[in-house]
Amino acid sequence: MLSALLYLQYHSFVNRAVRRVRRLKQPKYLFGAIVGGLYFYFYFGRFLFGFGSHRAGGMPAVRATDGNQVLIESAAALVLLVIVLLAWLLPRERAALVFSEAEVAFLFPAPISRRGLVHFRLIRSQLAVLLTSLILLALTRRWGGNLWFHALGWWAVISTLSLHGLGSSFARTMLLDRGITNRTRRLVILGVVAVAAATVFMWARRTVPAFSATSMEDGTALKRYAEQVLASGPLPCLLFPFRLVIRPFFATTLSAFLAAFGPTLAILLALYWWVIRSDVAFEEASVDASQKLAARLAAVRAGNWGATDKGMKPKRPPFRLHPTGPPAVALLWKHIISASKVFTGRLWLILAIGITCLCVCIGQMNPTGGLATVIGMLSGMALSWSLLVGPQILRQDFRQDLLLADVLKTYPIPPWQMALGELLGPVVILTAVDWLLVLVAGILLGQTRGLEMSGALVASIALGVAVVIPMLNLIVFQIPNAAALLFPAWFLATRSGPGGIEAMGQRLIFFIGQFLVLVLALVPAAVVFTGLFFLGKLFVSPAFIIPRAALGTAVVLGVEASFGMVLLGRLFSRFDVASEMTP
Amino acid sequence: MIEVEGLTKLYGEFVAVNELGFRVERGQVLGLVGPNGAGKTTSLRCLSGIIRPTCGTIRICGTDLVNNPVPAKRELAFFSDEPRLFDYLTVQQHLAFTARIYQVRDYETIGRQLLDELELSEKRDALPGELSRGMKQKLAIACGWLHNPKVIYFDEPLTGLDPMGIRRMKHSILKRAGEGAAIIISSHLLHLVEEICTHILILKNGRKIIHGTIGEITRQFSEQTDDTSLEEVFFRAAYAEGERRPKANGAEPPAARGAVPPTNP
Repeated sequence: MLSALLYLQYHSFVNRAVRRVRRLKQPKYLFGAIVGGLYFYFYFGRFLFGFGSHRAGGMPAVRATDGNQVLIESAAALVLLVIVLLAWLLPRERAALVFSEAEVAFLFPAPISRRGLVHFRLIRSQLAVLLTSLILLALTRRWGGNLWFHALGWWAVISTLSLHGLGSSFARTMLLDRGITNRTRRLVILGVVAVAAATVFMWARRTVPAFSATSMEDGTALKRYAEQVLASGPLPCLLFPFRLVIRPFFATTLSAFLAAFGPTLAILLALYWWVIRSDVAFEEASVDASQKLAARLAAVRAGNWGATDKGMKPKRPPFRLHPTGPPAVALLWKHIISASKVFTGRLWLILAIGITCLCVCIGQMNPTGGLATVIGMLSGMALSWSLLVGPQILRQDFRQDLLLADVLKTYPIPPWQMALGELLGPVVILTAVDWLLVLVAGILLGQTRGLEMSGALVASIALGVAVVIPMLNLIVFQIPNAAALLFPAWFLATRSGPGGIEAMGQRLIFFIGQFLVLVLALVPAAVVFTGLFFLGKLFVSPAFIIPRAALGTAVVLGVEASFGMVLLGRLFSRFDVASEMTP
Repeated sequence: MIEVEGLTKLYGEFVAVNELGFRVERGQVLGLVGPNGAGKTTSLRCLSGIIRPTCGTIRICGTDLVNNPVPAKRELAFFSDEPRLFDYLTVQQHLAFTARIYQVRDYETIGRQLLDELELSEKRDALPGELSRGMKQKLAIACGWLHNPKVIYFDEPLTGLDPMGIRRMKHSILKRAGEGAAIIISSHLLHLVEEICTHILILKNGRKIIHGTIGEITRQFSEQTDDTSLEEVFFRAAYAEGERRPKANGAEPPAARGAVPPTNP
């Protein structure tokens, strides 16, 4: 029976790989693969395969030397302990092995024992374990160490967590079947944790010399204290099994690795035995979990990430939608609802007042700069980043509605209004966020005495930025939407197609393309601003001219955005749902 | 109400719909039938303004749909085979949204009546994810009826409905037709078409094979027998010729290659 399951697993993997290789014949996947491959190589690969400069470069090698081995191992073991505890504390559901719907349809009615299904699940989970280990290896290789020790070390850690997760879910279900509720289980576990923590605390307080906050400027005192707590007393006993799991990763010689890997394998075998011996009915919960997984996948493939939210609840509309008026407002209303329930006018007003008060207080407490300047500068940087990151996060526009395009196309709305309505939601949200950032930066930097700019000039710049931002955001959102309508197959491939290096490359190409178009769109506005500013500066002060120059810039951006809306509307009206939606 | 002349839709060289022409008057129900890939859904999508025809004219209540789409679309409603709803809007919010799109002033009264009629009143604050397939269909219908359309298209309207839902849907279609709406139904369910349609249009390979009232078509293909069903008429009309879909350059379409026409039962 196991051979049939292995056959399914093997051929699914091979067929998926072959399909990915074959689709490289299409330029969109080939270019994506090249760009993604280069990105992967320069970011991870050269370290992974030993071509990188981790030995000569600035990254310090993380080696568990005698001095810090205990500390590093124990800290890592502590992290493992917390993960294991959370697996017993947090979940509420009964044990469920997540299968695909096809697997449920074929395997559950088939003459396969429960143990056979568990074996199938374990084999399949090894694929995910290997992939996760590879990614973690790529991330940690830049700090040096032995490739094989790290690879096997990560595999051991991830496999242990995977097996423990399965075993603990079975055990929780058995407890539920015996009448021990989730609440009782949690209370008992929390009680045990509290007793253990109190024991360690009391021991440390009595045995380890205390240290003062002033003596930890360079961290040495804290490190010494942590070493003492972790290496002696009750904590090493608690962490011992977890250190056994971690230890192969930090081995530096083959003999040390072999000596460490034996106990790790023993733990893995014990966990495997525990999982296999557990006789828990998981079928019903598994069918339910598989259906939920399928629904989530379908929603993601449809570009509707919001629907993947398990706890999706009806949201209060941001304002009352009257039945008459510009139809574009209905789309704005719809998209703000889809974004989140927090986007209400009242909330933004409260936020603005609260932030103003807070910033004034911070400014008064730090009149010469310091914290106020840092926060102000960070707000300014966040504002710049929002131009690039905002459209990637807020997707309540054509990109979300693309698979419902046939519904939208039946609406009696002129194309440009449709485009405006589709974009208004994310533009309004991002503009509100940006205005808050401008408020923070303006108030904090305006109060700082050490700056070379006067308070009036800071306020003038803040006002100018606030004037320009709505139009700028309108353009910023037009670019990815136009890209999605012009290249829907590409767009859908990046959104919903199977992942992989080519999909990553496609996302990079999209991002770079959007950045270049944005720069191009900003050129006329920048020219107008520069002209108005320098012309005005001949007659009036900069503080006076900046908001007015910004107004002129906003007009230019508004004209550009208007042309963009007309173009976007045309693109949407020509967008053929039937012929375009196949990636 | 619906006037179609020379409607043609090309996908590259592939002819999906070829020179289609017909009229549907007030109160008439036209059944659009044909084998898979005949061009029914493409035709309906062109007729509802979802896709632009390559050439031809479509008039909805006298307004050209291609050149003047906004007023034309205000008069029509299109129901696809799967109810297409917004996951994050509740039942009530769907109605409010649709009302604004179609500028329905008294939508609250109409919406309440529709929800009562469709037994959805208790679900007014539910999201589509909390509704059954049939309830989603009802919500889509409520949204479609809200602006009292004069032209209505249904693409496989009975898909996924239970017997009670099927009865209600048929009743609803006939009621709308009785009130003067022009209706087109695309369906493979010939008994449904026979039961509620006044006219039939059989499409094959994007071309009109036959168009007329059920009586006319039945008489034409009855071969001197009185008990000829629409199913029999359909097979005789659709598979008699063994014709192939034309292409702009005369080549065969991908779907037609190697396709074996079904035998006449």
